[in-house]
Amino acid sequence: MSLFDVVGPIMIGPSSSHTAGAAKIGLLARNIFHHPLKRVSIVLYNSFADTGPGHGTLQAIVGGLLGFSMEDERIPQSLELAKQQSIAIDFSFLDDPEKHPNYVTILFDKDSASCFSVSGVSVGGGHAKIVEINDNKVEFSGRHDLLILQYRDICGMVALVGKLLARHHVNIAYMQISRDAVEEKALAVLKLDAPVPSIVLNELENKPEIYSAVAVPRWKEEEL
Amino acid sequence: MNLPKRIRIKGWQDAVEQMQSYALEDLYAFFLAYESQNSEIPLDLLIQKMEHRLSTMKTSIHNGLKKPNITDSGWINGGAFHMKQFTEKGHSLLGKDFSMMVSKILAVSELNACMGRIVAAPTAGSCGVLPGVLLSVAEKKHYRDHDLVKALFVAGGIGEVISIRASLSGSNHGCQAEVGSASAMTAGALVYLSGGDHEQIESAAAFALKNILGLVCDPVAGRVEIPCIKRNVMGGCNALACAEMSLSGIKTLIPLDEVIDTMATIGDTLPCTLKETSLGGLAVSPSGKKMKLQTKLPRKE
Ligand code: SF4
Repeated sequence: MSLFDVVGPIMIGPSSSHTAGAAKIGLLARNIFHHPLKRVSIVLYNSFADTGPGHGTLQAIVGGLLGFSMEDERIPQSLELAKQQSIAIDFSFLDDPEKHPNYVTILFDKDSASCFSVSGVSVGGGHAKIVEINDNKVEFSGRHDLLILQYRDICGMVALVGKLLARHHVNIAYMQISRDAVEEKALAVLKLDAPVPSIVLNELENKPEIYSAVAVPRWKEEEL
Repeated sequence: MNLPKRIRIKGWQDAVEQMQSYALEDLYAFFLAYESQNSEIPLDLLIQKMEHRLSTMKTSIHNGLKKPNITDSGWINGGAFHMKQFTEKGHSLLGKDFSMMVSKILAVSELNACMGRIVAAPTAGSCGVLPGVLLSVAEKKHYRDHDLVKALFVAGGIGEVISIRASLSGSNHGCQAEVGSASAMTAGALVYLSGGDHEQIESAAAFALKNILGLVCDPVAGRVEIPCIKRNVMGGCNALACAEMSLSGIKTLIPLDEVIDTMATIGDTLPCTLKETSLGGLAVSPSGKKMKLQTKLPRKE
């Protein structure tokens, strides 16, 4: 642990797992989805569903979705702020003993062709992880700069991306790939030692095999 | 002496021995080096980061006292504010300083319950103890921010040791791990601030944690309100008393590491009804159950 996890984090109360961690999941999900928000369905599970409403979990997740950090004092008003921005938000509350106690699935533009989902868990102390993107199992906490790619599952894709990043001196620290054999779609999460240069991103987006390429910036703690 | 690339500690005793072997001046210097080596962040940035924590703590006291804090459950209804008024009218039992300290601890804890901005120390539920006490003593004794920042590193070090040997979470080890840890961190920080040596810091922290061993976590309706907020006050008063006992020369006969291990053992034996599940303790008292029914929880599909 870091001493700054002991004396910290700086956060909006009342709970590091149910408020601060929830806000972090919202913000990561926003950065992963990377499109303007129109309709968002938020499904809370287990302890998040039981005690979330008494812990500001709903406001925290929506605050994160609006781009607020866990210490942003606008979090308590996030539901009204979302309404003002004409973002439609609905919540549901479920039990699923197979899932982590503090589990949430965020569905963007549900029931449309472009439906996109991100699930996260809050693991305590304001820490959180993303565990699923569009039914692909992933695991990251945002400590690295990330490149998230969705692409047609063809041979040589990984080599191509690796080469492109290397050409711009970006080192890959870790990589996760998951594939949907039926749809021939794959999702790759690359954890990087440096941010993705925008020209790499452009080049990737221009490849027909790549459906989407999103750079998620490293999780920054509070401003000094 | 050169520091290793990473510093690992097994407990308090180990931290003290390493401090001595690296010829570091005091526990502040040790824990600062510890953080810097492990996070690869330079010392001056870490100090700045802690200064920001300190100023956020000050703001949280200010914000928590400026108006009555009322939670949406209505269970918390301006306690800190009333306590401040009571003190200002001269009704204190033991003098203004003590009563104002109580109102400051309440202020931060209540602010947390009302979705205000606080510094978790070590958790959000126990966030009132350290700022409420440390800043009260600092005001009385005119300590400078520079010294308070050092004391916060010592407090962080004590919490770190507890997290290594046990844990800092109510769901793992009950409230002894939250308010108990906050109290131990605060007691040690106060002794450091008052110029005590590492043995005195250890005694203060050990006293504080011993006194809170066995405390269960049983928040009513799962909300960080009852009994959490008043327990912060208990942890704060306990920290002050333990720091003074240690400064007066009273020594712990049971080392801090053993007290922490005892806390872990007790925490492991506690039934899970008493570890943040709200299935035991005050949460299931007749009034606690009634209060839970009052809070409108969403219906499950
Ligand atoms: S009772 Fe539980 S929730 Fe409340 S402060 Fe103690 S450990 Fe935290």
